Amino acid sequence: MAIEDDVVVVGGGLAGMATALSAAQDGSRVRLLSHKESTLRFASGLIDVLGYVGSEIVSNPFETISQLPDEHPYRRVGEDGIRDGLALIDSVTDYAGGHTDRNALVPTFGGTVKPTARYPKHTAPGLASDERDALLVGFETVVDFDAPLAAEHLAETVPFDVRGITLQFLGDFRTDARVTRLAHALDENERIEVGGRGSVSESVPARIALAERVKPHLGDAERVGFPAILGEEHPDEVRATIGRKLGVEVFEIPMGTPSLPGMRLEAEFETALREAGVRTTTGNPVVDFEGTDEISAVIVERNSARIPFHGEQFVLATGGLVGKGIDSDRSGVREPVFDCHVPAPENRYDWFEDGAFDDHRFARFGVRVDDELRPLDSAGSPEFHNLRAVGGVLGGYDFAAEKSGSGISLATGVVAGRNASDEVNL
Amino acid sequence: MAIDAEVLVVGGGSTGTGIARDLAMRGVDVTLVEKGNLTHGTTGRMHGLLHSGGRYAVSDQASATECIEENRILRDIASHCVEMTGGQFVQLEGDDDDYFEEKLRGCRECGIPAEVLTAKEAREQEPYLTEDVKRAIAVPDGAIDPFRLCVANAADAEIHGARIETHAEVTDVLVDGTDVVGVEVRHESGPGKRNHAKSGTTEKIRAEYVVNASGAWAGQLGEMAGVDIEVRPSKGVMVVMNCRQVDTVVNHCRPKGDADIIVPHETTAILGTTDEEVDDPENYPEEEWEVDMMIDELSKLVPILRDSRTIRSFWGVRPLYEPPGTGTTDPTDITRDFFLLDHEERDDLTGLTSIVGGKFTTYRAMAEQISDHVCEQLGVRGRCRTADEPLPGSDDFTVLRDYMDDFGIRSPIGRRSVQRLGSRADEVLMTDGPNPVLCECEAVTRAEIGDAIDQSGTDLNAVRIRTRASMGNCQGGICCHRMANELHPKHDEPTVRDALDELFQERWKGERHALWGEQLSQAALNYALHATTMNRDAPDEDAIDFAAFDGGQHGD
Amino acid sequence: MSEKEVERRDPTELQDVFTGESMDLRPGSDDCYKCSTCDTECPVAEVDDDFPGPKFQGPEQWRLKRKDDHDIDDSVMSCSNCMRCDNVCPSEVPLSQMHNTARGEYVESQMSKLSREYIRNRILSNYGRLAPLAARFPRLTNFVMGLSVTKFVNEKVMGITGEREFPEFATETFTDWWTKRGGANVQNEEKRVAYFHGDYSNYNTPEVAKAMVRVFESFGYEIVVPEQRCSGTPMFANGMMDDARRAAKFNIETFAALVEQGYDVICSCTSCSMALRQEYPELYSFDGTAKVAANTFEALEYLRIHEDLEGELADSSVPESEFGELAYHAPCHARNQGLDGQAVELLSALDGTDPVDVGDSCSGISGTYGWKSEKYDTSMKIGEEMFEHMEDVENETGMTECPTCAMQMNHGTGYEIRHPLEVLDSALVDA
Repeated sequence: MAIEDDVVVVGGGLAGMATALSAAQDGSRVRLLSHKESTLRFASGLIDVLGYVGSEIVSNPFETISQLPDEHPYRRVGEDGIRDGLALIDSVTDYAGGHTDRNALVPTFGGTVKPTARYPKHTAPGLASDERDALLVGFETVVDFDAPLAAEHLAETVPFDVRGITLQFLGDFRTDARVTRLAHALDENERIEVGGRGSVSESVPARIALAERVKPHLGDAERVGFPAILGEEHPDEVRATIGRKLGVEVFEIPMGTPSLPGMRLEAEFETALREAGVRTTTGNPVVDFEGTDEISAVIVERNSARIPFHGEQFVLATGGLVGKGIDSDRSGVREPVFDCHVPAPENRYDWFEDGAFDDHRFARFGVRVDDELRPLDSAGSPEFHNLRAVGGVLGGYDFAAEKSGSGISLATGVVAGRNASDEVNL
Repeated sequence: MAIDAEVLVVGGGSTGTGIARDLAMRGVDVTLVEKGNLTHGTTGRMHGLLHSGGRYAVSDQASATECIEENRILRDIASHCVEMTGGQFVQLEGDDDDYFEEKLRGCRECGIPAEVLTAKEAREQEPYLTEDVKRAIAVPDGAIDPFRLCVANAADAEIHGARIETHAEVTDVLVDGTDVVGVEVRHESGPGKRNHAKSGTTEKIRAEYVVNASGAWAGQLGEMAGVDIEVRPSKGVMVVMNCRQVDTVVNHCRPKGDADIIVPHETTAILGTTDEEVDDPENYPEEEWEVDMMIDELSKLVPILRDSRTIRSFWGVRPLYEPPGTGTTDPTDITRDFFLLDHEERDDLTGLTSIVGGKFTTYRAMAEQISDHVCEQLGVRGRCRTADEPLPGSDDFTVLRDYMDDFGIRSPIGRRSVQRLGSRADEVLMTDGPNPVLCECEAVTRAEIGDAIDQSGTDLNAVRIRTRASMGNCQGGICCHRMANELHPKHDEPTVRDALDELFQERWKGERHALWGEQLSQAALNYALHATTMNRDAPDEDAIDFAAFDGGQHGD
Repeated sequence: MSEKEVERRDPTELQDVFTGESMDLRPGSDDCYKCSTCDTECPVAEVDDDFPGPKFQGPEQWRLKRKDDHDIDDSVMSCSNCMRCDNVCPSEVPLSQMHNTARGEYVESQMSKLSREYIRNRILSNYGRLAPLAARFPRLTNFVMGLSVTKFVNEKVMGITGEREFPEFATETFTDWWTKRGGANVQNEEKRVAYFHGDYSNYNTPEVAKAMVRVFESFGYEIVVPEQRCSGTPMFANGMMDDARRAAKFNIETFAALVEQGYDVICSCTSCSMALRQEYPELYSFDGTAKVAANTFEALEYLRIHEDLEGELADSSVPESEFGELAYHAPCHARNQGLDGQAVELLSALDGTDPVDVGDSCSGISGTYGWKSEKYDTSMKIGEEMFEHMEDVENETGMTECPTCAMQMNHGTGYEIRHPLEVLDSALVDA
């Protein structure tokens, strides 16, 4: 057998990366198979653990888990699993929030506040549960975020003064310049032509130019929030320079899609995976497997050639409907790699409700698992002895309504990775 | 008693706006009231076919003849609403030869240019057609945007002095003895442009003459006036595909039947339809089997449809009518002709005429006849000019532009914007500030949204039908909030939020019927973006105890 | 990863039923759910705000099209065809296919055939046609190409940047060497491969091709080297679709016949394997296209699947003085085939070398792109991140599978650039 590892993880999103890292740290040789970029690029980059149960906002997720329904993944991994998942994120990133069990409230680009457990340090000075006055800055061509509108909504609820302004971005960037272009200009601190006095233009480093443009609007604000486009490679430096020039703290409001905080988080995980010796193969889908009750290999299809990746333990981390780990057609819902059972009403008109934010059945589509996180067939028995499932591919919870997506990915990933590795090392 | 308008038209669909324009151009003082948006009723819920008449060439030659005449007129006066795609009546192996011949003969008898295509020619024109094509008849069918057409009619009526009130539902018909003297309406947000922040008001609008152009709702209005109008509403489903699989209208050449037409409409293709009688034009079941039937049946004509992405479905209700005592049971047998019901002749009630039945393609001719009738009643001697004068946006206009130099936008975006705006393009797109694209699926820029907001107040659905923003494959997931942002700061935050919620829910309503495969994935992404990243589903934010949450570690 | 997505859209669905040409890619937009991931990975959009990104160029532009619309936005010419968008799209939108087709249409109907840009692009993309001439007089060519007057003329008249050194032509081409050698040294009915060497390793870096031959023969493979044309990659990238079509047809016919006889097709250049595996089936429906695609492999990939390569390497070594720490850059086209992690993973097991991945950025040259005067600066900006990471590596040796990436790596850092096959050659054959 040419390509062989102990633990093979199928899917390279947050859950897959957490699984791979946890199994590798536990001493296994790990292969991470990832088809495409993950949904981290769509998401805020925040680590939400549990923000709402029903219509109740949650300030301490750990005290609230017991209120969740029995089929909820958190009931499988328990409080310890969640804490281990958070410990992993704390070891991979320099996210803030680990000093307390309580959720923080972070302003969203929609003008609301959202409870979250861990947040990038670029977001930390912006907490809505902090009482310093704030100024939000938007840009005319970053069309998702209307800072004055968001500020007006925030001002109705938060315990501080908040204003918003809309500025033109710097220089003569084209209207349809991508956010990565703007981030790159700040990363590199490119020199930007700005209109000087009279008709003379001068060239100024981008970060300085941005700070100078904001400064006249500062007023009494003690902190300034920008959409999360302040650099991809060097966000620390970008934020520090602008903050220094403005004389107040600078923070980012998570955006997406596309999401620079998500991309940065992904990059941090990639470094950690490399350091942990995880062997990553990307770019092609897992389409099939070998074995019956026990999986011996998964088959990667590479431009119509089939390449087997062998292993002892396998973990399914392909995501949900958005990540395409769960697929559907007019007649039903399925998990396409191992064809694990996905409970769903037969009639597709029972998959949704009439209001856009109602309690949709589709939001909870996914595989059901036992306490070992092994997917169960329709009779309630494990589909395979050596397959576990983590993250978005799991059913029984609505991450969007609960604000629990990253928390579940991390907790189930860490637990499944450790358990799989333990079985290898038995 | 003071008169507010010479003529009051009820109904902001194609007929109503057509009448308003016609009368206003003849110098009549007109007010039009519509309970929802323009096109709220049947007009906004049709498949966008500009009939050549071929469809009726066998069953109803009078309608067919009228269609081809109006088809030619609309190409002239509404050029920015019409895309002359051409159409085919496709015969598959096994379909009846006689019917094909009859159709061909019928077209020629009605003056509809018709040409027989071999299977190869038909498939060269439309490569996705099935290999089972036997032959086809090419006819001058086209696609027409009903929203743009009605908006242009209403706008032109306003230019000629008419008052147009949308979101103004008629709550009563004012009758003085045996004379209709006006209506009472409830303005959802007061008179004038819609504003979510304003509360509703009622208004009595007195008029010399009232025209009931409320289509499928004509019976309900009749009831308020105490007359009986036997409208036989019949629903039909339309399934919207993500992109155009065909560039010509493809009809299945067989005697009447369900699921026999595919219309390329703007960036999409629309599959239609069914014909099922319903009791209430507003409340009727929207069913799974209807959607499935469109896909299953029409993929026999165009096989790629089977696995193509559907983005939503909608239902329309035909305002069919038949004179009392006709006794037709199958709605497909009810005539598509229109009827002018003069209630003075019919019910001894003066001051009111209803118009029922009819087809979108011939709306202008219907409006002309009604307007003639009304003018006769009022003693006005104006001549109808609607067949000669182009609608706003449809003046002579060349689309050969350098979009980047002229408008600062990429060529496909410029091309689509100009196709929508017609001769208004310069006026709308020549702006000073940055003009980013807000709706990426349909290539709608900030300037075009701004222009539509100027026309529509805070009603984002009215902005949508003017621009197509949020009507593409993401169904607004990526752009609804961007559209709403444009209302601010002219409108305050709660108003903007209401407007956004209303649009978002409207988009969801149609998308529900396409929730499998790629569109379910899209819906899940939209849901995640709005509920997670923006937390727009947050319950009761006022009740948050901020002190109970992590305040961060700054200053420690 | 639904079934539908796994089986890439059947190319015949996207081809005109009569001409076989790809014609209408609007249905490809069905898979786009507007996540913008492609835009975040586009190396051009990151440094060039004139380029609105792959989402616009691909699914958006196509979906907005009506059959009679023929204006393709000229920004499509700024796409470097690195194909990273294909690699990252979570939803299987056929992005590069859309770009290739749009670019082809643009060049065909909107670009003057007399323009300097067109002529320059045609010459650059038909390098394989000019190279034989140069290879006949390699020393003269190298001398002339190195002259400042030549650079001046190229820059001013042709729009080819004078910043770059033209690649040297080898004094003996690979095919000359192969013929002189008398062809294959190993006969083996069981293990037979057909080598698609591509133009570059034939004319400029025959040592890579020779290494491939020696390594494969050391594993007992019988090798055949058929007559072949350019893979077409530079032609796709410049919208020269007629040229590409002719070359592809020849290659497909040649290699399909060999596959029929039981040969697998091996490439040492990842852009060549990319073309045979992905671009051909996306753009053509000649007989045998799918068969060639399904049986084409990159050299290391093939050995890894069929041999215990990792085990062999673990028992071998290379001279540390020659290799040591190697700054490895994964070409975008390797990434696209899922091969980006493979060289580092395999060679890590080998004594005497320590490959270091310099990150997942694009080198910026993208074949002919970085040779164009007007694209040179963009190309170097894109490459900046890779150069920085290469500088962090102690030794001054780099490694990559792609010949033009190698040019850029050398140009940006002055490092000598090796091919993984050369390392294998040293480890498994020289020893």
